[in-house]
Amino acid sequence: MRIFTRFLLVAVLVSLLNQPGTTLVAAAPKGGVFETDVLPILLARCGRCHAKGQRKGRLDLGTLVGVRRGSESGAIVVPGKPEKSPLVEALVGGDMPPDGKNLPTKAEIAKITSWIRGGARTRAGGFDTGTRWSQEDVLPIFYTRCVVCHGSREKKGGLDLRTRASILKGGQSGPAVVPGKPDQSLLVKRIHAVEMPPPKLLVDFGIRTVEADELDTIRKWIASGAPGVPVVADVATRKDDPLVSNADRAFWSFRPPRKPAVPSVGNASSARRVANPIDAFLLRALGRRSLEFAAEADRLTLIRRVAFDLTGLPPSWNDIERYLGDDQPGGYRRMVDRFLADRHYGERWGRYWLDLAGYADSEGKRSADPIRPHAWRYRDYVIRAFNADKPYDRFLLEQIAGDELADYANAKTISPELMDNLVATGFLRMAPDGTGSDIVNTVVERFEVVVDEIDVLSSAVLGLTMKCAQCHSHKYDPIPQRDYYRLVAVFQGAYDVYDWLKPSFVPGQTKSKAVGRVLAQLSDDEQRRGRAARTAIEKRIADIQQELQDRQAKLLREYSESRLARLPDVLRDDLRQMLSVPTDKRTAVQKYLARKFEKQLTLTVKQLKKRDAAFKKLADSTSTEIKQLQATVPAEPRIRALWDRGEPSPTWLFRRGQFNKPGHRVGPGVPSVLTDGRTPFEFEPPRPGSRSTGRRLALARWLVAPDHPLTARVLVNRLWFHHFGRGLVETLSNFGNTGSRPSHPELLDWLARTLIEKDWSIKEMHRLMMTSSAYRQRSTNRPAAEQLDPENRLLWRMPLKRMEAEVIRDSILAVSGSLDDRPFGPPDAVDVRADGLVTSRVGPKGWRRSLYVQHRRKHMPTILETFDLPQMIPNCVERPDSTVAGQALHLMNDPMIRSLSDAFAERVLKDVGTESYQQVERVYQLALGRQPTAQERQLGQAALVELTRHWRTNAPKGGKSDPGIPPGTRALATYCHTVLNSAAFLFID
Amino acid sequence: MTQPTPRREFFRSAADGLYGTALAYLFGRELYGGSGLLADDTQPSPRRLFDLAPKQPHEPPRAKAIIQLFMQGGPSQVDLFDPKPTLTRHHGQSVFKELAADVSSPQSAGGLMRSPWSFARHGESGTWVSELLPHTARQVDRIAVVRSMYNTHPNHEPALYKIQSGKLLPGLPSFGSWVAYGLGSENQSLPAYVVLDDPQSRLPVNEIQNWQSGYLPPLYQGTRMRPTGTPILNLTPDQARKRPEQIVEVSRNLLARLDRIHKKQRPGQLRLDARIASYELAARMQMTASDALDIKQETKATQQRYGIGDPTTDNYARRCIMARRLVERGVRIVQIYTRGQMWDNHSNIGSSLVNACKHTDQPVAALLDDLSERGLLDDVLVVWGGEFGRLPIAQLKPGMDLKKAGRDHGPAGFSLWMAGAGIRGGTVYGATDEIGYKAVENRVSVADWHATMLHAMGMHHEGLFFDRHGLRERLTGVEEVRVVKELFS
Repeated sequence: MRIFTRFLLVAVLVSLLNQPGTTLVAAAPKGGVFETDVLPILLARCGRCHAKGQRKGRLDLGTLVGVRRGSESGAIVVPGKPEKSPLVEALVGGDMPPDGKNLPTKAEIAKITSWIRGGARTRAGGFDTGTRWSQEDVLPIFYTRCVVCHGSREKKGGLDLRTRASILKGGQSGPAVVPGKPDQSLLVKRIHAVEMPPPKLLVDFGIRTVEADELDTIRKWIASGAPGVPVVADVATRKDDPLVSNADRAFWSFRPPRKPAVPSVGNASSARRVANPIDAFLLRALGRRSLEFAAEADRLTLIRRVAFDLTGLPPSWNDIERYLGDDQPGGYRRMVDRFLADRHYGERWGRYWLDLAGYADSEGKRSADPIRPHAWRYRDYVIRAFNADKPYDRFLLEQIAGDELADYANAKTISPELMDNLVATGFLRMAPDGTGSDIVNTVVERFEVVVDEIDVLSSAVLGLTMKCAQCHSHKYDPIPQRDYYRLVAVFQGAYDVYDWLKPSFVPGQTKSKAVGRVLAQLSDDEQRRGRAARTAIEKRIADIQQELQDRQAKLLREYSESRLARLPDVLRDDLRQMLSVPTDKRTAVQKYLARKFEKQLTLTVKQLKKRDAAFKKLADSTSTEIKQLQATVPAEPRIRALWDRGEPSPTWLFRRGQFNKPGHRVGPGVPSVLTDGRTPFEFEPPRPGSRSTGRRLALARWLVAPDHPLTARVLVNRLWFHHFGRGLVETLSNFGNTGSRPSHPELLDWLARTLIEKDWSIKEMHRLMMTSSAYRQRSTNRPAAEQLDPENRLLWRMPLKRMEAEVIRDSILAVSGSLDDRPFGPPDAVDVRADGLVTSRVGPKGWRRSLYVQHRRKHMPTILETFDLPQMIPNCVERPDSTVAGQALHLMNDPMIRSLSDAFAERVLKDVGTESYQQVERVYQLALGRQPTAQERQLGQAALVELTRHWRTNAPKGGKSDPGIPPGTRALATYCHTVLNSAAFLFID
Repeated sequence: MTQPTPRREFFRSAADGLYGTALAYLFGRELYGGSGLLADDTQPSPRRLFDLAPKQPHEPPRAKAIIQLFMQGGPSQVDLFDPKPTLTRHHGQSVFKELAADVSSPQSAGGLMRSPWSFARHGESGTWVSELLPHTARQVDRIAVVRSMYNTHPNHEPALYKIQSGKLLPGLPSFGSWVAYGLGSENQSLPAYVVLDDPQSRLPVNEIQNWQSGYLPPLYQGTRMRPTGTPILNLTPDQARKRPEQIVEVSRNLLARLDRIHKKQRPGQLRLDARIASYELAARMQMTASDALDIKQETKATQQRYGIGDPTTDNYARRCIMARRLVERGVRIVQIYTRGQMWDNHSNIGSSLVNACKHTDQPVAALLDDLSERGLLDDVLVVWGGEFGRLPIAQLKPGMDLKKAGRDHGPAGFSLWMAGAGIRGGTVYGATDEIGYKAVENRVSVADWHATMLHAMGMHHEGLFFDRHGLRERLTGVEEVRVVKELFS
């Protein structure tokens, strides 16, 4: 990237280097000759990586042919123009060699510069950039601009522009191209006349007109005879890979983990603390610094720690009593098992995974931020998978290639398992996707979606940063740009930028077809549920509408009666009769009566509202309620899935990441550095006759192979991070060169291998980590230890953790008895106040857990954002952690927190009555999971007395708050609110 | 009136006080890993703890704060700062073909339209300003007009995203959040990045996405401060939930006691100190924020000079004074948004543009005078401009009276200006073509402009990055970017 910004500098330096009289210039006639003047420098300075079998960045500087061909980003020499030659840019700008070693001298750079300025001469004469036209120059243009109508799905006019042969064959109007004669070629004529692609259809089809330079390329290709060359996509073969060396593969994280022997701990006092191998590894490292574990935490601390870690909620008082009452050996383990079996476990750990997937209920990218009505099924799938302890390898297979695992297309009935497979692929449908709007549905925006999904996959599963390889080979890790596009090719069966499906319909912004990347293969149960949910809400709407109608009819009748009462008795029956008959069915007499009396006897609805405030209120609130209900009518049930559509377009590498600078054709594959470099990537349709290519299934299988160097390591490191507050590798999603090295490499590998041995069971890993002595340590600081290891890398104590955003909200809900604990289903809507406060809507049973609140990118609940829930762009690999005044303000003043404090007080009052002694005790039990100390009890009771006194003398007069609330209750609410604000509540030891 | 809080005073007092260590933790990076922010070639180290502590820029800054007078909607350059006699000469002539790419409503595109207003040279510099801005005209020797800005989209939404965050898409960090991230705030009891939108109007187009933090941590997003009611979200409870002062005090004392007990049992846990400090700050913020926005503390003369009390200017004038009071107190960047789409003069430009100018001209000029008299103009960069300009052709429905015409959006060339903080007053930089349609000379891209403002703040656009998925994400992206140094003296 710096290369671009260095441009100015380069221009200046190049001009300096060429000043007449500058001593730097080694003047040679016409700038010298490649073989004698330039090649030796290149070999000496660049040969390490760009010669003799090494072709970093796909660049060979060891031969004239290689220099001519250029790099993955295109030509590197522009004869006569050093300032435009990337070779000079890289050298002058200091970007190459990248490690700053063996740098070329100024004189050498000057030599290269003047060679280029002199026309880049060679022994044979000119440089000859060797432009040979082929179909590969024009096909990417046709794919970008034409094949949507002249390709696999449609062949308008009988024309198919996907291959040289089909182009030469042409369509109903004859051959599209006359080789050698661009001006006579129909294709050129139609493009030139701006007839094709048809301007009117551009936006609908997400394409743009052919650019002038593209038309020029097409002309040149035709002019040179429309030549074709045999093309094989660049894939891994059995030959050595010239772009990635075995030295590259030697990096620690690229080698498969091997299970190390568990060390024995010599020191007797330490040895006693070895509850399982984890402790042995940790204690050995601690021992080297003469450190030890902290003492074991007390049971109340432990159960609180375990409960929050596994469920994201405080332990109930029952949980605590049960644990304290279990004096048998193994009580701790049983307690851990109880929380592991709790259904809230999936909600807690599912949320971590949803961060990695970048879960959101809206598409993002556009201001409209269109809602994703079906995303929640994926959220529920993740929660269920965690609760069921779905083996991680299976979990990945389903999420990456669930559509290829089983034959959903031909299934007679859709079993829940089959549906799950499809829902699981939602993992790769969570990135922001604006292509639902016609105006931003071109290859550029489509490719952004692909890039983001690769980003999600590589950061979440691989623990590698691949994004830079989208534009150029990775600077620090051995990931060539080619490998990035091999991954693009893996996805091309499902995400084909030339043959796209839009994610969803955006009101007012979607006109075109190809809308709805969703599947309808729901299980019978799910369809029933979907229908039932719709019917239930529709019925509710009908009911309240009827209610209003009835009320209205009654009021109108009453009004008529009251008016009738003022008229002479004799008229009443006739008038009543008249009013009961519809206008067009009245007799002549009735019509007469109507003319005369109807107006004074009846009211319009509008008049009624004006006269009757209560009715108006009812009508308004009903209409609001109906609107709200209508908004919650679930969409026709669908699955937001990713599936292989068959017949993928070719994949061209995009030079500098730009779609209109296509490089060579690449085929599916995985990063070479994670393989032995001599194994082809093999894939086939998952079953005979299937349209699916099987590419993603092959990728998924490769990822979960037991010898994969990263998959298991990355997962256990994440589990470790969530339990111990710091990863064994601190950069959770970067196990590459720029990431940090593991603090305990052997432990990491031991855990990774153990995960695989335990059949990828995540719950087994929790058990292992949580039953270690390391996990059961106190969090107390020890100054002596802090001196030696200030960041606690060696884990001589447990870290103190602040609750995460969702945990804060959910815990306050739980403590105050306001948690609606219903799992699953469509997300709860949010309200946006004029001043920007975003809150979730409360239901009849309270508020639901945070992960069931709508995650709309532009309207995230304020409390979650304040406590560091970031935007998912495209995902979140690690939450930031801030301590700012805004958080204090929120907990002190937010109306929802205040009303939850009131609810908390009511709950305590109901449980223990009005005695302050019991009240304080109950507050501590519920909020902090323990009894108050004598001092805390005394402080609490004193505060209650004082607060009661002040509330009595300052009873709120009128206003919204109910003056009927006794001062003691108000005092208790204030007290509860204070405790919810306390460090003891928000921090977990 | 009260003395404005001198910069850094807060830090001096905080560092001496009880919570010295905690604040150092809250605000300091040295206690936790590397910065990962302004480093140059070190390996990216994971930075997980984020704060608003003041941070050293790359080089000594010219500006310590920015007041951005954001004129969303697109003020018409050819009627304000970029006079084009050619328009008068060729009034009515059709140039539609040349402009077609940027005309968003071709059905209402008319011919070239001369400016209905006269221009004159002002100040010693002789900068041309339209008669619509008589107050600004008196300030020209303080300001540098850039006539060669360009944006890349003719619609408000993408163009706003671009000018705020560098790209045409939502979801990326805004300029202000980059500044907050890079420099922190000099006053911890106020946000680093304050947004003053019009309290009498709905939110601007793109709403809060104008000041979002994107992939930067949420604490760097702009904070809306409201001149009435609670200045900051949840700064005080809703009216109905206000508690008597004694109650607040008992509760506050109880909390302090409980937290002290908790902390005492956990010595050396800096996080706990930091948290307690954050509660102290929150309490202080309640006073500071209200005080900062309390323009009643200003003298009558100052109020009048800004135009307070005059219904035409009052609303905007208030926020201009507030902006000054905020930067005085160490806020890093204040953005003032204007009323609705008042600069979006699609029709009746003859009256709508006049109103927009009248609404803002006097307050803006008064702000410059006021900053200058207080010696603040040397430290504060004032920026005026919108997301694009307008086309030199008329926009009107076929058959409509030309008097009712307006101008359509014009992204290809527009004007904005800067003042203060070492800006060379009296400069006119760059030029549009003959008709004022397209920037042709010394073109300034949005990225150039961002880099230039960062430069004024002492930051280098390549050195301000956020490490994400192994990429060093920057405000200015990978484009070739130029700091317009010619604007500075």
